Amino acid sequence: MRTQPLFVVLALLALAGCASDPAPHEQMRLTEQALEQAKAVGATDDVAELKLAEDKLARARSNMASESFRDARLRAEQAELDARLAEAKVLTLKSQEQLTLLQSRVDRLRKQLGEQR
Amino acid sequence: MSSIKPLALLAIAGVLGLQGCASERSEAALDQASTAFQSVKDDSNVLRSAPRDVIRAGESLAKAERLATYWGTGADVRHYAYLSQRYSEIAREHSNLVLNQERQTKLELERQRLQLALREAKLSSVQQQGKWLEEQIVSLATTDSDRGLVMTLGDVLFDTGEAELKNSASRTVLKLVQFLQLNPRRVVRIEGYTDSTGNPDDNLKLSRDRAQSVADMLVDLGVDEKRIQVIGYGDQDPVEVNASERGRAQNRRVEIVFSDEKGRLGAER
Repeated sequence: MRTQPLFVVLALLALAGCASDPAPHEQMRLTEQALEQAKAVGATDDVAELKLAEDKLARARSNMASESFRDARLRAEQAELDARLAEAKVLTLKSQEQLTLLQSRVDRLRKQLGEQR
Repeated sequence: MSSIKPLALLAIAGVLGLQGCASERSEAALDQASTAFQSVKDDSNVLRSAPRDVIRAGESLAKAERLATYWGTGADVRHYAYLSQRYSEIAREHSNLVLNQERQTKLELERQRLQLALREAKLSSVQQQGKWLEEQIVSLATTDSDRGLVMTLGDVLFDTGEAELKNSASRTVLKLVQFLQLNPRRVVRIEGYTDSTGNPDDNLKLSRDRAQSVADMLVDLGVDEKRIQVIGYGDQDPVEVNASERGRAQNRRVEIVFSDEKGRLGAER
């Protein structure tokens, strides 16, 4: 699954020599998927990277409409990684919050045990 | 001819200048991506938790560097430098997540260990408190061979001729309540006694009322009514002869007879 975008990138790169790029439908799909996934774990526009991804995807879509396929591909590729970074950041942030909560509980237990003795 | 030449030169210089500008930007993007890649490549935690993203960061960076050796590829160089940088950042985030999860697992174990320790500490403190209370009750009580453990609330805890317990009895009664709460299977029989002065019927009533007022207070403080029996004995069973004032005072009393730990009470008189 993960090697797919790379494969697509390589395949598209091989074709990049040609005067006109083919329409990057697969990359658009991957990017949309990455955005969906980032939102599914709770990323919102407050996460700078998600906002970037959405803006780039919007521009890639208008590039597709005007058949500027090369620009569409580049933007979609960047948007995919922006979205994946947003997702990763949200997950890390959440785990950090859980960790902080857990730490405070452990501290409270230690304090109680200290008072017991 | 001579008028065109400077223009052409200017144009060439302009193009070169733009190119220089563009390659400077590519240069900066490459440097940034390269720094990011170095930091994840050399971090064993990142390599361990996100090897594929690190590899992709390296591949994209290599591509950007290769493109940078050609002319007119500034945009592509920046694009792949950007992708490389993103892969490095994603790898770093994954690593942070994994490290957090590992710490969380350790903390969770620590928490369970502490909870257990706390529970044990609390339990032993309850046991100690129970033991202490038991000692207190035993010190306030005497062991009667027929009736078991008996605690006497003396005449001083009541006003003369009155059934109401004085406030000074509160400490003793509270200890009694706590003792009963810590020993939920024990039951009590509360027995009232008077001296032999006055009307026997009045004495019987007063002895019963005093025993009942102790029982009422126990119930008010949360002891289940079913665990309490109340009996008035009047002037029966004096502990002292009724001839002296001191003897009579000792005969005016409420006795609390405790059952054993299994709830078995000694026989009534």
